[in-house]
Amino acid sequence: MKNYLIGSLVYMITLSAHSHPVIYQGGKVISSFNMASYSDNQALYSITSKWSAGLNHWRFTKKDKNTEMGLARVNHLLWRKNGEDSQANIYLLSGIGLVDSEIEARRTEEVYLGGFEADWETRTLFTALKYYHFTSPKVTDIFMAQGRIGFSPFESGFEDLQTWFMLQAMVMPDVEPNVIITPMLRFFYKSVLWEMGSSTRAEWMLNLMVHY
Amino acid sequence: MKLSLILGLLLVGQAAFAKDISVKVSGMVCSMCAQGIKKKFSQIKEVKEINVNLDTKIVSIKTNEDQDLKDEKIKEIITEAGYNVASIERK
Repeated sequence: MKNYLIGSLVYMITLSAHSHPVIYQGGKVISSFNMASYSDNQALYSITSKWSAGLNHWRFTKKDKNTEMGLARVNHLLWRKNGEDSQANIYLLSGIGLVDSEIEARRTEEVYLGGFEADWETRTLFTALKYYHFTSPKVTDIFMAQGRIGFSPFESGFEDLQTWFMLQAMVMPDVEPNVIITPMLRFFYKSVLWEMGSSTRAEWMLNLMVHY
Repeated sequence: MKLSLILGLLLVGQAAFAKDISVKVSGMVCSMCAQGIKKKFSQIKEVKEINVNLDTKIVSIKTNEDQDLKDEKIKEIITEAGYNVASIERK
């Protein structure tokens, strides 16, 4: 137990994770990422432009059995490079909460999250990598790695509709299927972003994010 | 006629006190993320109008008459929004 706690704390300190989990000071984010095999719903508040906190619910599904987690989250913008025509970021993510799993014997236990997210983008190119590791000493040990690349066919104005073509690859060894490749369309208009896609295994994806 | 002339001169004089400030911002590539810049400046009482141009990476600020925004305040707001100020020009 002690080793798991220490390991989780090390993760929280050394790793990071998710797409712009910290925004401008005072900004709020509500997001919902949904596939048949997993979902991720978040409500975050950026206390400063480097720290945010909030609530997060996850669901992982393996062979019709769900593992669900509710976590209190703290995210940190570790590093940012504002270039003339680009921006690069590294975020650290952490969380603590409860997990409820139907896999094996159903039980509810504490769970810890550590992870990171890194991205680089211009107005027409986007790359991102994220890693989440959920550890619950008695129930589960799940990790999720995700990579994205994308391009926009044109540079849109500040308050115009933006269109992106993206390819997402996800690796989740404890979920069925454990590798999911998903081509998708991303749109955003002002402070609202939505994504639609279908994986190579015909699994739908529908995501929504609002900044306010 | 004389009164109109005086009023006209007063209006021109007052308009001259409104400031047009152009701020070149680094890292402003995502319009959704840059909405924070507009939101932050819109909350400042000295600001009358704010425009963001992603092509030029310039944030144009028009202040209310007789009001100004110090460079330090502009840098603070841009930093709170997650970006860096490359330069500030006043007209």
